[in-house]
Amino acid sequence: MLTDPIFLAQLAANGVAVGLGYALAAIGLALLFGILGQVNFAHGELYMLAAFLLLWITKQLGLPYGVAAVLTVAVMAGAGALLAQVVIVPNLDRSFESVILGTLAVSIILQNAVRLAFGATPLDITSPLEGVTVDIGGVLLFGQRLLVGAAFLVAFAGLTALLRYTAIGRAMRAVSQNREACVMVGIDVRGVARWTGALSAALVGLAGVVVAPLFDLYPNMGIEVVFKSFAVVIIGGMGNLAGSALAGLALGVAESFAGGLGNAVLRDGIAFTVMIAMLLARPQGLFGRSVRV
Amino acid sequence: MNRTRTTAIVVVAVLALPLVSGSPYVFHVAAMTGFYVVLAQSLNLVLGYGGLLSLATPAFFGIGAYVAAILSLRLGWDSAVTFPLASLAGVMSGIAIGFPSLRVSRHSFVIVTLSATLLLQLVANNWEDVTRGSLGLANIPAPRLFGVAVTERTEWYLLSLAMAGAVVFVTSLVAGSRFGRAMVATRDNEQLALAVGLDVFATRLFAFSLSGAFAGLAGALYAHFITYIDPGVFGFSVSETLLIMVILGGSGTLWGPVVGAVVFTVLPEVLRLAPEMRSLLYGVILLLIVLYRPSGLATWLGRRRAAGAAPFA
Repeated sequence: MLTDPIFLAQLAANGVAVGLGYALAAIGLALLFGILGQVNFAHGELYMLAAFLLLWITKQLGLPYGVAAVLTVAVMAGAGALLAQVVIVPNLDRSFESVILGTLAVSIILQNAVRLAFGATPLDITSPLEGVTVDIGGVLLFGQRLLVGAAFLVAFAGLTALLRYTAIGRAMRAVSQNREACVMVGIDVRGVARWTGALSAALVGLAGVVVAPLFDLYPNMGIEVVFKSFAVVIIGGMGNLAGSALAGLALGVAESFAGGLGNAVLRDGIAFTVMIAMLLARPQGLFGRSVRV
Repeated sequence: MNRTRTTAIVVVAVLALPLVSGSPYVFHVAAMTGFYVVLAQSLNLVLGYGGLLSLATPAFFGIGAYVAAILSLRLGWDSAVTFPLASLAGVMSGIAIGFPSLRVSRHSFVIVTLSATLLLQLVANNWEDVTRGSLGLANIPAPRLFGVAVTERTEWYLLSLAMAGAVVFVTSLVAGSRFGRAMVATRDNEQLALAVGLDVFATRLFAFSLSGAFAGLAGALYAHFITYIDPGVFGFSVSETLLIMVILGGSGTLWGPVVGAVVFTVLPEVLRLAPEMRSLLYGVILLLIVLYRPSGLATWLGRRRAAGAAPFA
């Protein structure tokens, strides 16, 4: 049974689907670290916020899932710019611990505010793709999972194009290389910080929007996401976007096989164990640090 | 001189308050305050003196709690043995977590200390033969010190107070010693510390393991005091509370974290806040400190006092 090729193929397919979700959730964190050298402890709460926002828009405003998803990502971009303006911009020249503590504070505030507003009972979002499955030679692919994969591919391609071909993208890459020199040549570093915050939040918001219908919604749902994203970003090389994407994908596949052939504990522990082993062997991460696009 | 006398009177009055009031509730809060003083000092050693943002304090605390609880529940050992063992377990986990995490960049250090804590929580949740998983360990007996059981509230309060006092005393000894100065040097300028021949890694590992010793001891007392523990003792929220206490109190000072621990244990009780409101308030306070008082409240008080003090007073 364990060596049944269809079972193994199903595990691989599930793993890729989950892994692309991890990659999508982590890539905004990698971007923020790569460009600004800052760690966002509220990253998971942005994911949570996006899911609850989506719920509120579909339930209260009665908009269909697709429209609500686009609206949510747009609002999240604004929230990210605001977070960057309030917490990151004033602390750009202080030690990075200030931003960690500031974003930690934001994460506590968001978690408890959402708990006060929505309660702690798990909630549920429905998506039109939920019942849809595609059968390829006995391997089942789920509609919502395919949407997660598609969202990742579009987001990653869009991000790469933005960093490579637009003025703000070039400014972001310049800031990642040398912030002082950017100030000298007249690049608005604060503006770049706000843009990076907006992009980072929009990316994790997109992850929240496409992944949330697969799970329950509760105020602490971001905690697991931020921890997994940390692991992914460290394994991929802090700030390396392609490395993080690959690490997310690999983690999803590894977890799927660990859960399918081993047990749930093995599955849940794998991210942290690999991360710690990685830091012992290669402190700079698998792919080294730099924003390569 | 006058100020010293006033401070002494205030301190004695605060310490005597539970004894005078005799209320079980006040004793409970007072004992908890003692535990938090120890935990805050544990974080202060690493964060304040060592300059490293560690999220591993709950790991040491949880290990100490589980070691003491299991040894007393399963084997019925005397607390005179289990408390030092719990503290030792804290030291061992300090070394085990410090070894990989102190070698990586300071960004990664934060995340690795956090991950190690979560990994321990995962173990506590799943190693059901030993920890009973999420059911937790219940009916932890009163601690027996050399055969004498600590059951009275007064005794608990004095035990907690004695532990907090001992930890503050040890911290003051360490802070004034060669090690303490080395820690501050590695915090203020790592390159310079290396250049004058300090072993930065060993200094930090020492701070980390002493921090583990403190928190492990606090965990042991906590387990016996509450009589029940579950994997929640490894929770991230413990770190959040401790960060508020240490940073708002003034990290890197001896008494700042003590004041922070007292204020932020007593204040939520006095205000009778719901947990959500308390956390929300903590979050807002932490954000405001980061934005407006990055160096903490004690330094602010200290600076004001220094400015106001007359020469030779």
